[in-house]
Amino acid sequence: MRPVEVGHRGGERAPRSTRLLGRHELPIACEADIVLVRRKARSLAQAYGFDAFATAAITTAASELARNCWVHGGGGAAVVEELYDGTRHGLAMEFRDTGPGIGDVEWALAGGHSTTRSLGLGLSGSRRLVDEFALETARGEGTTVRIVKWKRF
Amino acid sequence: MAGSETRDRLTADVYDIPRRRAFVELGDDDLARLAALRPLAEAHIDRLVDDFYELLLGQPDTRRFFPDAHVIERVKRSQRAYFLGLFDGKVDEAYVDDRLRVGAVHERIGLAPKWYLGAYRRQLRLLLDLLFSGVPDPVEARAAFASLQKLVFFDMTLAIDAYIVARDDALERHQTALRELSTPVIRVHHGVLLLPLVGTVDSLRAEQVMDTVLVRIVEEQARVLILDIAGVPVVDTRVAEHLLQTTQAVRLLGCEAILTGISAHVARTLVQLGVEIATMPTRARLAEGIELALAIVGKRIAPAGAGAGSAAEHAGPDGAGRA
Ligand SMILES: Nc1ncnc2c1ncn2[C@@H]1O[C@H](COP(=O)(O)OP(=O)(O)OP(=O)(O)O)[C@@H](O)[C@H]1O
Ligand SMILES: [Mg+2]
Repeated sequence: MRPVEVGHRGGERAPRSTRLLGRHELPIACEADIVLVRRKARSLAQAYGFDAFATAAITTAASELARNCWVHGGGGAAVVEELYDGTRHGLAMEFRDTGPGIGDVEWALAGGHSTTRSLGLGLSGSRRLVDEFALETARGEGTTVRIVKWKRF
Repeated sequence: MAGSETRDRLTADVYDIPRRRAFVELGDDDLARLAALRPLAEAHIDRLVDDFYELLLGQPDTRRFFPDAHVIERVKRSQRAYFLGLFDGKVDEAYVDDRLRVGAVHERIGLAPKWYLGAYRRQLRLLLDLLFSGVPDPVEARAAFASLQKLVFFDMTLAIDAYIVARDDALERHQTALRELSTPVIRVHHGVLLLPLVGTVDSLRAEQVMDTVLVRIVEEQARVLILDIAGVPVVDTRVAEHLLQTTQAVRLLGCEAILTGISAHVARTLVQLGVEIATMPTRARLAEGIELALAIVGKRIAPAGAGAGSAAEHAGPDGAGRA
């Protein structure tokens, strides 16, 4: 799979020594699973003391990406990681599917485009809601989106 | 009950009699062999049924399903018909219907499959005794019992399917009821309806909500619909789209839509998502939304004691206020 890396926002990349405190894998095999994924995002964000906006942001992004995984990718899994970089806590979420892949990443990320006559804002919007956003996709092989949201002080 | 309703719901699979028969290796020769033994079964049927009910009535887990002599009389009659049916020599749709009904009835009265299957053990035992005492040639008796076993297992697969379908039906009914419950459209005032959205808006619920709301708008000749999203935990593009579509449809009916219950962080999230809902009037709090709605229909909320002293609302001149 040829990776298409998409840049990060605000240079908030985690320093070298990020520790993994916890890891959860959740299947995305039906519409109801989307709710379970975003509930996990919310409960972890709250447990780590994320503020209301950061909690809404990661939860909403999780909802969008889980739905894309289900609707466009035909289902897959979400992996949630609890991170600590020495000074702050973060939540990483990775959404994987083995669906058709995204043909034109730039087009999909521009916002307002959709192949399902939907609003077409999920992918681009999620990217703005989080601190790190990386997308890997290959035609016919699938799509993986990884996001990270760090807790602010 | 089970007749048509359950039957409709059962997949064609259940009525795929040849396939089911093939799996338990139930051939026409088996049925013929059993049909030849019908006289034997008829001769001993009363004792068979009595013995069987001795087990059911002797165990507390099954005893409770037979509250009085009248019920016992009735179930014994149908058990009798069941036993004899095994020796009818034919398996057709009516036969399948009958087996399905048994499963559905058991599910309805709450007789768990474990007791149903457990009781079958006794039935088989009784039938085994019947055949080995009634058929002189042990080879013949063995063959007869093998045939009977096939038919009994054929029956059990049907009954279990019926259990499952009946259970699915019950679940679906509950879900429908819940969905309806979770779409309460409240009449706030003449011409003003309130829809408080609560919980998760999945595709099914979105449709349900839309249908319910549109019907109510027409019924009530509503001019304003307030959509309150304070109870929606995550407002993502799916929810936003649902709101926009509802608004559009509502407008086609000549009704205004007002959005309320948007918290500060939801507002910010929506902006970052890039969702454009500025096309509809929005108010942070429900109370403000209601004021706006009343203004649109030409009413307003006034302090008690003012003017004619009515506590709630006054007719205002042509929609005075802040629309
Ligand atoms: N996991 C995926 N697999 C394949 N295609 C995808 C995937 N995720 C996104 N896409 C493509 O990118 C497009 C844009 O995605 P985006 O989430 O922004 O919009 P959408 O899902 O169509 O609508 P919505 O605004 O409801 O999310 C989609 O229409 C789809 O064609
Ligand atoms: Mg999407």
